[in-house]
Amino acid sequence: MSSEERTTETGPLLDTNILKEIAKKDLVNALNAVNGAKTLVLDSTLAGPLGLVTEVALLKQHGVDKMFWLEPGPLTSTTSNIVYLCRPKIKYVKIIADQIKRHAQEAKKHMYTLILTPRVSTLVTRILEEEGVLGEVTLTALNLQFIPLAEDVISLENEFAFRELWVDGDETVLFDSAQGLLSLQKLVGPFPQIVGKGDYAKRLSSLLVRQNKTPTSAAEAPLSSAANVDSLIILDRKVDLITPLLTQLTYEGLIDELIGIRNSHVELPVAIINPPPANAPSASAATASTSAVPIVNVKKDAKKKYHLTTSTDPLYAELRDLNFSNVGRKLNTVARRLDEDYKTNLQSKTVAQLRDFVGKLGGLQTEHQSLRIHTAVSELILPLTRTDVFNKSLEIQQNLLASYEVSAQIAAIEDLIAQGADMQIVVRLLCLASITAGGIKAKTLENIKRELLQTYGFDYLPMLLSLAQPSLAMLLPNPLPPSLPPSGKYPFSLVRKSLRLLIDDNPEALEEVENDIGFVYSGWAPISIRLVQCIAQKGGVLSNPAEKEKPADEQSKSSIEKVQAHPIVGWKGFEDIVSTLPGETVEVAQRHDETGSALPPMSASPIKEQTSTTVVFFLGGCTYTEIAALRWVGRQNKGRRFLIATTGIVSGASLVESLATGIQSGEPKSASA
Amino acid sequence: MSTPHPTTTWQAMQDGNTFYRRQQLYSVPGKLPELSDYIVAGCQYGGPIALMRDSTKLLALGRVTPAVTKAQIQVFSPAGEGLLLFSWDQGRIVKFGWTVDERLIVLNEEGVYRLYDLQGEYQQHSLGTEAAEMGIIDAKMYGNGLVALTSSLTLLEVKGWEGARPLTLANPGLSEPPHAWSIIPPDLNISRHVEVLLSTEQTIFTVDNLENIDQRLSRGPFTHISPSPNGKFLALLTFTGTLWVVSTDFQRNILEFETTQVAGVEGSVQQVEWCGNDAIILTWPDLLLLVGPSGETIPYTYGGSTFALTEMDGIRVISSDVCDLIQKVPTSTLSVFKPGSTSASAILYDAWENFTRKSPKADENVRSIRPDLARAVDECIDAAGREWEPYWQRRILNAAKFGRGFLDFYNPTDFVNMGQTLKVLNAVRFYEVGIPLTYTQYNYASPSHLIGRLTSRNMHLLALRISSFLGLKPDAVLKHWACAKIMRSRAVAGADASGDDEVCKAIVEKFDSLGGADVSYAEIAKKAWEVGRPGLATRLLDHESKGSDQVPLLLEMKEDKLALVKAVDSGDTDLVYYVLLHLYKRLPLGSFFKLLEDGGPHLAPATRLLEVYARQQNREMLRDFYYSDDRRVESAILCLEEATWMREPSAKISAIKAGQKFFSEDKDRSFEAKMMDDYSRLLSAQHQFDMENDGKISSFGTSINETIRLCLVNGMAKKAEKFKSDFKVPDKRFWYIKLKALAEIRDFEGLEAFAKSKRSPIGYEPFVKHLIEKGYSKDAVGYVAKCDSPKRADLYAECGEWRLAGQECKTRGDKTKLEELRRRCPNSMIARELDQILASMK
Repeated sequence: MSSEERTTETGPLLDTNILKEIAKKDLVNALNAVNGAKTLVLDSTLAGPLGLVTEVALLKQHGVDKMFWLEPGPLTSTTSNIVYLCRPKIKYVKIIADQIKRHAQEAKKHMYTLILTPRVSTLVTRILEEEGVLGEVTLTALNLQFIPLAEDVISLENEFAFRELWVDGDETVLFDSAQGLLSLQKLVGPFPQIVGKGDYAKRLSSLLVRQNKTPTSAAEAPLSSAANVDSLIILDRKVDLITPLLTQLTYEGLIDELIGIRNSHVELPVAIINPPPANAPSASAATASTSAVPIVNVKKDAKKKYHLTTSTDPLYAELRDLNFSNVGRKLNTVARRLDEDYKTNLQSKTVAQLRDFVGKLGGLQTEHQSLRIHTAVSELILPLTRTDVFNKSLEIQQNLLASYEVSAQIAAIEDLIAQGADMQIVVRLLCLASITAGGIKAKTLENIKRELLQTYGFDYLPMLLSLAQPSLAMLLPNPLPPSLPPSGKYPFSLVRKSLRLLIDDNPEALEEVENDIGFVYSGWAPISIRLVQCIAQKGGVLSNPAEKEKPADEQSKSSIEKVQAHPIVGWKGFEDIVSTLPGETVEVAQRHDETGSALPPMSASPIKEQTSTTVVFFLGGCTYTEIAALRWVGRQNKGRRFLIATTGIVSGASLVESLATGIQSGEPKSASA
Repeated sequence: MSTPHPTTTWQAMQDGNTFYRRQQLYSVPGKLPELSDYIVAGCQYGGPIALMRDSTKLLALGRVTPAVTKAQIQVFSPAGEGLLLFSWDQGRIVKFGWTVDERLIVLNEEGVYRLYDLQGEYQQHSLGTEAAEMGIIDAKMYGNGLVALTSSLTLLEVKGWEGARPLTLANPGLSEPPHAWSIIPPDLNISRHVEVLLSTEQTIFTVDNLENIDQRLSRGPFTHISPSPNGKFLALLTFTGTLWVVSTDFQRNILEFETTQVAGVEGSVQQVEWCGNDAIILTWPDLLLLVGPSGETIPYTYGGSTFALTEMDGIRVISSDVCDLIQKVPTSTLSVFKPGSTSASAILYDAWENFTRKSPKADENVRSIRPDLARAVDECIDAAGREWEPYWQRRILNAAKFGRGFLDFYNPTDFVNMGQTLKVLNAVRFYEVGIPLTYTQYNYASPSHLIGRLTSRNMHLLALRISSFLGLKPDAVLKHWACAKIMRSRAVAGADASGDDEVCKAIVEKFDSLGGADVSYAEIAKKAWEVGRPGLATRLLDHESKGSDQVPLLLEMKEDKLALVKAVDSGDTDLVYYVLLHLYKRLPLGSFFKLLEDGGPHLAPATRLLEVYARQQNREMLRDFYYSDDRRVESAILCLEEATWMREPSAKISAIKAGQKFFSEDKDRSFEAKMMDDYSRLLSAQHQFDMENDGKISSFGTSINETIRLCLVNGMAKKAEKFKSDFKVPDKRFWYIKLKALAEIRDFEGLEAFAKSKRSPIGYEPFVKHLIEKGYSKDAVGYVAKCDSPKRADLYAECGEWRLAGQECKTRGDKTKLEELRRRCPNSMIARELDQILASMK
């Protein structure tokens, strides 16, 4: 678990920063295509992702004079060039069209460039045409695909992927994912195998296979074959809807649950980020935060965005994946270590010793700074985890997962509604109850829905209908209405048993919890990651790979040879349980050229030292806990690392929110039009 | 020796070290018309020339041919072969030039321009209506775009040849047309945007799309402005006849040269062109003068008028008799052949000649250059590439091969490549092909460019052989061949089904046999469709493996359903939209919906996409769609969505009622119908409530909870009760709302009365907790006593009443609890008190 151990293992994993550089270069090229000073108008959902690849200074260097959010209403620009940068969404295009028309009325002459990411779409052209401004606009594309969030996590940063796929049935994100994965293939070489689960996973894999057959992509040699990718695992969110509904209990997960992380940035009170004028030199702090702050429009409230990244915040790597209960202890040890390091200064007598110390000073100060921030953040979180609602909902979750007194839990949920708890908490618990218990008794459900609508507003009725629609099947009555296919029911108890999801919470098992991916939910293993284990670490599904007979102390553990990861052989061994889960099962071997066989000669020659990379793609988003759990899996074996790719980072709150607000995103045409 | 020695074409500059050579490429006596009567435009990289009669020139009566009476453009290959002849029926031509892929651009005064390929097929684009009204008076063209000068003296730029919208460059502010002007293409500029140079009065304006810079010169006006091929220098000719060479930023003077001093010329300079990047050619009738970097000159005489065309490594001169290439002798060639050269390569060449004569000097020579041998071999290989005559190419390559034999380790790749390249170059330089491409140009423009040029001349066999010789994919050639085949077969009239089959079979067979598996059948099919062969197009489309390529053509062929299916299969949602929007526009609404409904589950993704689009852009259509498909729930949701945006009470209420009606028509949706009924009742009640309060309270559109809260904080408990009973709000929830509302307005007496009104359904713990949370710990204390006894101690502690907490423990005799409290108490005074209680318990 220690960071040293991790660094020694960091073998030839793909350097995700390449993706960042590519994105940055593309952006600069797109901007330079417009000569001279320009006003940049940004779609606000894109600002976050862009902030991860570039800084404001870079934009200024390339002629960006002023920046605005793309918002309804008039736009005044002092430069003749106006550059819009947005995703090809109808609502944005309509705002743009509106602004252009307004300029035309006011007889203002501007040159308009519309940069669409990831590509220009017919839809946009059509709407511009319908609005009668197509002739005014130069359309170009900025192919922004996977953006690195951490050294092993890349994301498309599409917040609405889940809603679009399972509620709207808009498969655009599927196509974009395929394009992103194809680009990834160009960097790391073809995926010899695709294994996955879920209907959309199936569709994505067939898109990938088809695209790979077209000659253009197959011919090119990968830029870096060092990553040695052995397979691509695709899991669509539908396969494991339970995980995001639970409250994440890792440090990073809790920050997301309670404060909210967007595009790796968290909003914190300024006092936490910038220490009040103290003795600590602010130089290191400044570098840490300037690079981190993306396009921020000056707000009055004293909040500031802080970039959660391991590159400027070394401590974060050690903290982010810990169960929150261990964070305090960790902070404590780090504080003590730092203290000792500072003390060595006092003991240093010779000049050489002093020089050594001064050399380390910079590192110490950064560490000091990040220790201070994380201590403050955990102080911020701690009281929030002590509230009644928080604890009650945790209790309900644990009971539901254990299928313990389901009706009592539902009554408890009703109480939460009466208390006026957050809507998202209530909805998450309700869905959890419905999925784990195979539906809620029809009468009770109607009653709860009525309560919900009365408490939070009748406007949420469409959301409830969405949750019940067959494509989601998250909130169903029991017995099921005849209109639904019988496959809609999730085989919860079977899965729980055969995938060993629930780790008993007795004191004896405490050790075990820490030794299994279940630690991220304090005793519940996320199904999605268990499924990854079914493919990439088969032993880990049945029993804890970190064997109990080994002494728990870290020193001896790191000296013991870890087990070499087994080659990827698809779902082998778990076909039965996987087939009971809803959605299609994917297992494809891709053959790229006639000479080389699809599988690298793994089975043929016993390769020992080779480390391979397994790409895990979460279609519809993944949670921070899943990332933490997957990292844990990666640490148990040598010879395999995981590259986590996702359409975006989600949490239960963000999912519920996307279902609830999706409808309002598109304000219709005004009645006059 | 049958072929003259290479040096025979050389001429030295005055300094004796720099040599220029005039290489005759083709002899073209009688093939070209008198050039002085024509306007000529030449295409770089050994491309053809286009000629049009210059109507300003007088013409002797006897020479009248059809070509001069009508507006006609003729295109000749450098070898003088006529490639194309067409007449122009549009407005007056102001300019013509060539694109980088050898298409002829012809621009007329109305701003219409056409791009002709060498087969005479053309595409037409326009500079827009504004340009047409103003009129175009002149234009300059480069490989990837053009800049047009309008009659109102503004500049329009077109980038690329896809008919892009013209951009207006910065206004140069001219009052009269420039004396001369020129452009520097974007790829040769620092700014990467096209730059226009305009000579006006004494100075030159530099114009790009942003600004107009006056270079503040005083030597103008200029009659010629000519940028060098690399865009770094300008050659300017003043009215007084001074040739002035200057760097493009006008900062560095390179050369000044008086053209009036040249002996034996009459009249003014006709052309100022660059020979590569280091010398300038000035042309007069009968004479060309090469001016070197430091003012040295070499005269070349020609009979009759000439046309000079700058290439990147030299200059092509076309006269009525010959087509020549004048260039600086390349370094490697100079090194091998320069008289008296003692360079290693010259000695190697000498050694090889001695070797062929079986002279022992060969060995001696090679020994003497042993250390430099590898370099000498490389130089010979390079020099071979610079030679025009195969005879000399072979000889120098032989010398290189000979030298190679003495080397232990030598990578033969360069040698093999050069051999291959020369074979290709010699083949295309053959007069029937007539592409006099130099080695440098070939390397710059790439082999695939060359293949493209051959196919555009319909020389498919040669192109195919060259591409297989170079190991390139045959796709491009095959595709062009197939299109040409279709075009050709069009002429064979009565294209019945059997003809279609035949052509299709021929194409497919050819592709299969030549490995053209990757050729896009869709593009070929499109061609067939365009020339009016739908049958053939369908047959060809069947062979297309990539669905996305089939779609546009299928749509055009009105194969709607198939197009939609293919689009859905491709997974590309944009393509689906493309089809949907296309069909929506074209089909009657009813059949459009029917198409989607009949599609079943396979077309479901398309339907969903249509819904996404329509929900935001075309709700009217969506309403119709849901209605026609009997989708009541969706119709209802549509109403609800709209209601959320509405502010106006009666409209909102009626939208909700409409939704309610849709729900009620579906028997499985009675719950939803009921809810909507409640909603509309609530809205009406809220509306009335707001009216009663003269707009002081705005409850309209809020939830029931919020409405009740509003009543309570405004002291209307009765009203709140009414809402409660009207909407059957359970006691529990109501108590929470009231608790919070009363705490909010700090009505603690009211709260107390409320707490006592009856037994609380939520217990009294929430009272304590909520009051503490809001910072009213003192007021919370009173409720602790009503809570369950085991919890009291902790609750007291939370209120900050440690003593009460201690006493509570005492009453209950709970010593462990007391000890625990003792441990976490905030200060020593309390600790002492607790200790006392602890002591008293013993």
